Amino acid sequence: MDRTRLLMLGGAIAAAVVVVAVVIAVAGGGSKSARTTTTATTPSTGGPEAVSTFAGVPQRDDTLGRASAPVTLTVFEDPQCPYCREWNIDTLPTVVQNYVRTGRIKIVYRGIVVIGPNSVDGLRAVYAAGLQNKLWNLSEALYERQGDENSGWITLRTIRDAAREVGVSYSRLIKDANTKAVTAKLRQAANQAGAYGVNGTPTFAIQKPLGAFRQLQVSGLEPGVFTAALDAALR
Amino acid sequence: MRLRGAIAAACVVGLGIAGYLTYVHYAHTAPVCTTGGCETVQKSKYAELAGVPVALLGLVAYGVLLGLAVVRGVEAALAGVFVAAVGVVFSGYLLWAQLGPIGAICQWCLGNDLTIAVVAALYVVRMLTETAE
Repeated sequence: MDRTRLLMLGGAIAAAVVVVAVVIAVAGGGSKSARTTTTATTPSTGGPEAVSTFAGVPQRDDTLGRASAPVTLTVFEDPQCPYCREWNIDTLPTVVQNYVRTGRIKIVYRGIVVIGPNSVDGLRAVYAAGLQNKLWNLSEALYERQGDENSGWITLRTIRDAAREVGVSYSRLIKDANTKAVTAKLRQAANQAGAYGVNGTPTFAIQKPLGAFRQLQVSGLEPGVFTAALDAALR
Repeated sequence: MRLRGAIAAACVVGLGIAGYLTYVHYAHTAPVCTTGGCETVQKSKYAELAGVPVALLGLVAYGVLLGLAVVRGVEAALAGVFVAAVGVVFSGYLLWAQLGPIGAICQWCLGNDLTIAVVAALYVVRMLTETAE
């Protein structure tokens, strides 16, 4: 066999390995990872977005919107769940703008552990932010920083950065995170999920005035698809 | 000629897979899936490289490989080996990501793995047998 060609072949394959290794080292881990790193070091993406989505919208504990809103949308979510991230980042702003700000609905957060133990850390932080009436802000700021499932990305540092960006007192949040009030919230969400057969996230449920709590079936999480399902449920 | 035809045919299969996954990415729809993990893989951070969907990179790569299949000469074969080898190594990385960090398998990705492996093997054979111009 032609020795020169074998050498060229080996060289091409070796070069390919080197190229891929360099590309993965430089840009690997994907854009979401890069976004996470950026938001963790520069207070730009997570904070302002998390603030502006909810600016001026009443928040109390785990509820977003006016208490008098006739319809309640309950959202079961896990801070580690990628689809929850998608819904919160891409669709929630539209829902807040068109349904919550107008007083048509209020949204209740129900954080449940679906992905793994690291979710508990995130949920405790989120519910503790609820005691400062900024649950939804912190939740969104955490989604902006979401890493791989069960990679341990929900650290004290992540929580601290998220809290700072959305104006949540970190010291108070850490103090509150392990209180009975937060534990009770976690238990309430888990019990409610169990009672209604919720076994995945995100799961949505609607409750109209005097109506039963029933799951909202959605065929997609994109703003248009979700709001179409919401409109149908509100009719 | 036959070998280059086989390479071209395999590239067309690859174009189909990468094209479909690129469409799914930009259309924000879920891919047809029997393994149950396609959407998880599609929405994972490994589905993009520096903000570019890996499916689109695959589409471009198969396009280049198809173009090289119609060009005669050792140089074209060598370039094909290089591009296909990049594809195989990168597909291996993505397979590792599916089995490891993502924890979900995408049938389309497995189809692509098989296709790029076939294309690479054919290009190696071509490289060793191509008649010098």
